[in-house]
Amino acid sequence: MSYTVVLEEFLPALLLLGGALLVFLADVVRVRRLEVFGGIAVAAIVGTLGSVLADLGTPYLEAFRTIPASVVDAPIAPGDLFAFTSLGLIFQGIFLLAALLVALASLSRPSHERGAAVFYGLLLLATLGMMFVAVAADLIFLLLALEITAISSYLLVGYTRRDPRPLEASMKFYIIGALSAALSFFGASLIYGAYGSTSLLVVGHTYPAGADGPLALAGFAFLLVGLGFEVTLVPFHMWAVDVYDGAPHDVSAFLAGGTKKAGLFAFFLVFLTPVVIGAGAQLSGSLELLLAILAVATMTVGNVAALMQDQMKRLLAYSSISQAGYMLLGVAIGTAPAIEGATFQIFAHVVLKAGAFLVVGAVAAMGVGPFVRDYRGLGHRRPVLSVAFALMLLGLAGIPLTIGFFSKFVLFSAAVEAGGLFVWLAVAGVLNSALSVFYYARILRVMYMEPAEGTDPATGTDGPLLPLGGLGYGRASAIALCAVVIVLFGIDPAPLLTAFQSGASHFLALGV
Amino acid sequence: MTDPFATAGFLGLSGALLVIGLFGILTRRNFILLLISIEIAINAAVLNFVYFAAYAPSAPIALEGQSAAVVVIALAATEIAVGLAIVLALNRVRGSINVAESSELKL
Amino acid sequence: MNLESGAFLVLAAAAVATALLALLVRELVHTILWIASFFIVLSGLYFLLQANFLGVLQLGVYAGAVTILLLFGVMTTRRRIFSREAATGIGPASIVLGAGIIAVFGILVAGLAGATTGSGPNSYPPALLSQAVFNVYGPWLLLVGFVMLAALGGAIYLVREGRE
Repeated sequence: MSYTVVLEEFLPALLLLGGALLVFLADVVRVRRLEVFGGIAVAAIVGTLGSVLADLGTPYLEAFRTIPASVVDAPIAPGDLFAFTSLGLIFQGIFLLAALLVALASLSRPSHERGAAVFYGLLLLATLGMMFVAVAADLIFLLLALEITAISSYLLVGYTRRDPRPLEASMKFYIIGALSAALSFFGASLIYGAYGSTSLLVVGHTYPAGADGPLALAGFAFLLVGLGFEVTLVPFHMWAVDVYDGAPHDVSAFLAGGTKKAGLFAFFLVFLTPVVIGAGAQLSGSLELLLAILAVATMTVGNVAALMQDQMKRLLAYSSISQAGYMLLGVAIGTAPAIEGATFQIFAHVVLKAGAFLVVGAVAAMGVGPFVRDYRGLGHRRPVLSVAFALMLLGLAGIPLTIGFFSKFVLFSAAVEAGGLFVWLAVAGVLNSALSVFYYARILRVMYMEPAEGTDPATGTDGPLLPLGGLGYGRASAIALCAVVIVLFGIDPAPLLTAFQSGASHFLALGV
Repeated sequence: MTDPFATAGFLGLSGALLVIGLFGILTRRNFILLLISIEIAINAAVLNFVYFAAYAPSAPIALEGQSAAVVVIALAATEIAVGLAIVLALNRVRGSINVAESSELKL
Repeated sequence: MNLESGAFLVLAAAAVATALLALLVRELVHTILWIASFFIVLSGLYFLLQANFLGVLQLGVYAGAVTILLLFGVMTTRRRIFSREAATGIGPASIVLGAGIIAVFGILVAGLAGATTGSGPNSYPPALLSQAVFNVYGPWLLLVGFVMLAALGGAIYLVREGRE
C-alpha cells in the first residue's frame, strides 16, 4: 500500500489538512483576523462534508464522489488497515457536523482574538483525526487516529494560554489522555501477542478461540479501560466534568459533541467488530453483561450528579456523561436496531449537547454568569435564543417532537426487541430519562418562571440587570442550524433512520 | 508461541513496569514526574510489541509488531513534547508545576 | 538457567529498579538520571530480543532526545535545579509496591531456573523492517506525522512569548 493510494482515497480528509496548513500559513504571514481563519475552516469542513455526503449516495451530489460506490461496504482483506463502510461514512458526517457548528459559532468571537489561528488549525486537525477513526480497520491505526484528535484537543483546551483555568483543564486532560493512550496501547500489544495481528478482521476471525485466551482477555480489558476514559465510562468519568467546565465554551462544545463521539465509534469498532465476526451478532457472555452494567451505571451516576449541580456547564457535562451511557447500551446489545439507535442517539446528541454548550457560550459572551440561577428571566430578555435553548433541553430530556425522542425510542425498542436481560436495560434507560427531566425542567423554570429583575448576584444590590450584549451572526447561524435539525428530524426522522438502518446492517454483515 | 517461562518473564516485567507507571500517575504531584510515569507505562507496551515480535511464528507477523513498536516510540516522544509545552505555559502563568498546589481541578 | 535468561533477569531487575528509583528519589535531576538509565536498560532488552534497530531507536529517541527534553523541562521550571521540594520520597505505599514487585520477581526467578531452552528470538534485517514501516504500514506513519503536525502547531503557540 503506497502513499499515493492512501492520499487518493482520503481526498476529502486532505481538504481538512490543507485547510489547517493554510490557517497556520496565514498566521505566519501575520494575518490577524479571525474571520479569515474561520472562513478557511468553514470552507474546508463544508467541502469535506459535501464529499462525504456524496460518497454516501446522496442525490444531486454524485459529481462530488471521491470513493467509488463499489468500495463502500466492500469486503476487505485481513491486512487492510482501513475500510470505507457506510456506517463509518455516516460517522464522518456526524463528526464534520460537530466541527462545522463549532467553527461557525467561533466566528462571533472578537476579530483580533489571540490564538484564533491555532484554534482553527487544531480544530481542523482534530476533525482530520476523527475522519481517520471512522475508517479504521486496525487497532494501531485506530489508536493513532484517536491520538491525532487527542493531542489537538489538549492544546485546544489551553489555547487561550494566558488564563490559568483552561491551562489547568488542559493539563488534567493531557494526563488522563496520556494514561488512556498508554493503557490502550498496552491492550493492543497484548492482543497482538494473542492473535499475531492488530487487524480487527484477523482478531475477529480468531475470536473468541484466540491463540492465548487469558492474554486476549487481558488485552480487551485494557482496551475497555483505555477507551473507557475517552468515552467517560463511569469509573473513569471524573475528569470530564472539570475539563468541560474549565475549557473555553466553544471547545467544550467540540469535546462533548465531537471528540467524545470519536471515542464512542472506536468503542463500536473494538468491541463489536471482533465479536460480531467471531461469535455471531451478539456479544458473548461476560463482556456483554459487563458492558450493560457499566452503561447503566454511567447513565445513573451522570444523571444523579447532574441533579445536584448549580453551575450550567457542570450540569451539562454530567448530562453528557449520562448520555454516553445510552450510547453504550447500543454496544452492549449489539443487534442491528441497537446500533441504529445508538448512531441516531449520537447524531442527536451532537446537535443537542454541542448546541447547548454553544448557547451557554453565547449567553456567557452576553455577560450572564455561570450559575443556573443567573439564567432567570432569560426567556423574556432573549426570547428567540431561549426557545432554541429550550428545544435543546427538551430534546436531551427526550420529549416528543424533538430529535431526542426518536433516538431514545429506537434504542429502547431495540433493547426490548432483543429480549431477556436487555428488557431491564430498557427499563433502566426509561427511568433514567424520567430522572433527567427534573434538571432540564429546572433550567426551563428558571428561564421562564423567575423574574429577571431582583437581586443582582454580582453586585448584591437590587435593581435592573445590566443590558445583554449581542449574539453575533456566527453563533446565531450555528444555533439556528441546531434548532432546525432538532425540529426537522424530530417531526420526520425517516430519512435519517433509513440511512442509519442500512449503515448498521452493513456494519454487522461486514464486521468492519 | 514460545516456552511459557520466557513469556511469563517478559509479561511479568512489562506488567510490573505498567504498574509502576500507574502508581506514579496516581501518587506523584510534580508534572515532570507524571510525564516520566506515562513514559514508563508506554514503554511497557513497546516492550510487549518487541517481545511478541521476536517470538512471532512468521516474518510478516514479526514485522507488524516491530513496526507498531516504531510508531509507538515516535508517538510517545511527541506526547512528551506536548506535555512539556503545557507545563511551560502553566509555569509561566502560575509559577508552579505541582499539580496539587496549582489546581482547583483535583485529579 | 542459560546465558540469555540470566541476562534477561539482570536487565529486568535493573529496569524495575531504575523505574522505581526515578519516581522515588527526592532530587529531580537524579530522577532524570535514573529515567535515562531505565531507557538504556530497555534498549539492552531489545538487543537481547535481537531487535537491533529498535534498540538503536530506543537509545536515540528516549535515552537521547526525551531525556534532554525532560532535563530541559526541569531546568526551565525550577530556579534551583537541585530542588528537594518536588518528589515526595519513599512512603509506605512505595514500600508495599516494591515488596510486591520483588515477590513477583522471586516467582519468576524460580520459574526461569527450571526453564528449558526453547528456540531463541528470531532476528530480522533492518531492510525488511524499513520496507514494512514505509510500505505495508505506511498509513501508520502518515498518522504519526499528523499527530506531530498538531503537536508542532499547538505546542509552539503555547510556549511562544506573545507580543502583548
